[in-house]
Amino acid sequence: MALAKNQISLKRLISKKEVSSLIVEMLPLTGDKICIQDALRQPLMGNVSIVPSHQYPVKLNGEVIGWVTGDEKASPIASLLTYLANNEMEKKTLARETLERYKEINLLYEISGKMTACLDLKEIAKLALDETRRLIKATSGSLMLINEKGREFYIIAAFGEEYNQKLIIKPGEGIAGNVALTGRAEIINDVWLDPRFIPRKNRVSSLICAPLNTTQKAIGVINISNEEKTNYTASDLKLLTAIASQAAAAIENALLHENKLKEARIKSNLERYLASQVVEAILGSKGEISLEPDRKNITILFSDIRNFTQQCEQLAPEKIVEYLNEYFTQMVEVIFSNGGTVNKFVGDMIVAIFGAPSPLENSEQKALQTAIEMQKRLKMIAVPWIRDNFNTGIGISSGKVVVGNVGSPRHMDYTAIGDEVNVASRLQSLAQGGQILISRSVYELNQHKFKFKEIGNLKVKGKKKTVEVFEVLY
Amino acid sequence: MVQKILIVDDEPHIRLLLEQTLEDLEEQGVELLIADNGEAALETIKSEKPALVFLDVMMPKMNGFDVCNAVKNELKIPGIYIILLTAKGQEFDKYKGKEVGADLYMTKPFDPDEVVEKSQEVLGL
Repeated sequence: MALAKNQISLKRLISKKEVSSLIVEMLPLTGDKICIQDALRQPLMGNVSIVPSHQYPVKLNGEVIGWVTGDEKASPIASLLTYLANNEMEKKTLARETLERYKEINLLYEISGKMTACLDLKEIAKLALDETRRLIKATSGSLMLINEKGREFYIIAAFGEEYNQKLIIKPGEGIAGNVALTGRAEIINDVWLDPRFIPRKNRVSSLICAPLNTTQKAIGVINISNEEKTNYTASDLKLLTAIASQAAAAIENALLHENKLKEARIKSNLERYLASQVVEAILGSKGEISLEPDRKNITILFSDIRNFTQQCEQLAPEKIVEYLNEYFTQMVEVIFSNGGTVNKFVGDMIVAIFGAPSPLENSEQKALQTAIEMQKRLKMIAVPWIRDNFNTGIGISSGKVVVGNVGSPRHMDYTAIGDEVNVASRLQSLAQGGQILISRSVYELNQHKFKFKEIGNLKVKGKKKTVEVFEVLY
Repeated sequence: MVQKILIVDDEPHIRLLLEQTLEDLEEQGVELLIADNGEAALETIKSEKPALVFLDVMMPKMNGFDVCNAVKNELKIPGIYIILLTAKGQEFDKYKGKEVGADLYMTKPFDPDEVVEKSQEVLGL
């Protein structure tokens, strides 16, 4: 006979060692006139032959689970059995509750292990929903995230009939929207009584909705529902909330990871074209760096290969590029290692800036060092053709110029504009192969650090005053 | 023949939980036996010959390994499937488990579904 979940069999009860030995002791005290029967009057223990004068029920939860028949002495036995049955029932209920909690704990253990290992949004969402279904009765459910612009929900994973369509709900709209706004989970056991409920294709009678809360706000919701009216309990809510909070953390982690990867990819791509400082400014990772045009005190270095065009007449284009690349690679390394920014290549010319986009101390000195190292490095390049044929002239000047993004909104060039830029350029074109020419501003700050030779005064196009020129001896 | 499952653990709540987990099997004619220490367990195994034993490892005096060893290697009682229960995170000595002849091991907190599934499998239900 199958028992209802809230019943105990009298037969099982009295067959327990402690109970049966107790009854066996008590029966002789009643003069052996007692018979214990189950609910169907089948005798379980005691004297079956005597015709009873009295009968007393053994009751549990308002139902009769058995009888004790005999004389008046049957009464206390019935009371005792009733008490024992109730006791047993309590124990069983407790055990059942405990097992449920135990299963929840087990579940949360498993989930936390699996989720922290997950960096894929769909997998996390599916895991959360699958695990929820194991403990909470539901016919449909979904996990939705709020998109970046904060304007709508989109479903990451779902189960149940009509959820296989893209469902778009505006935040604040419906129960899910509300929960995301307030950040508080809700049980709605009768959705039709709730004015916020938006009926859709899904048949829903009861639901629980929990927000996916991160430190700042809700990034979405997880909801589960039943098409039949159910009594979702506070315990169910607590469980869903626990799962939701783990999912939220895992999702936030996954998104951050995705962003990090994206940023790293963009950065490494950009760095092939722009100096890493410019890239960092673009990505906004360092606050002080700005690409907005601004007047700054910087040092500008121009370096150009003498008679480059004529030399390359003898070479195939691929060879030209090969040699140029090798040359540039070496020179750029020197510039970077001294804190300079490679501003641009113009043909075979290198333009480097010291002091922008991020500030640099002793920019004039560093530029000088760079120029000397560049010349030395050129003479030591591994490729013999380059060693024999490339000779560079370098011009360095410094002062306040305007540096920043110049151009149209659709194409910008990070560039420096000003007198000193022109001066540096003119110095470079003056310089012969192997020469480094600098202006007074650079000379003054480095008088005692390097050896110099006065060249004379130079007329710069567009400027009335002439410029003093010095050569760096190395 | 009535099939028997023996639950052995010195912690009362584990005994209670395992009993509760296997409750439904009782309706399929399975008898649940309980022991709270190693020596009692051994005696019950000898007299009742349960087809399946859930045996806790960490018990005072006679632990799960000793009981298992006695049943499998010393007394060589056949037809007894022994599952050793060990605490999660504890370094379970798989070699020792093999040595004493355990058939399976599970970590606590145990997965109730797994317990029922395995029981049904072993008892052929």
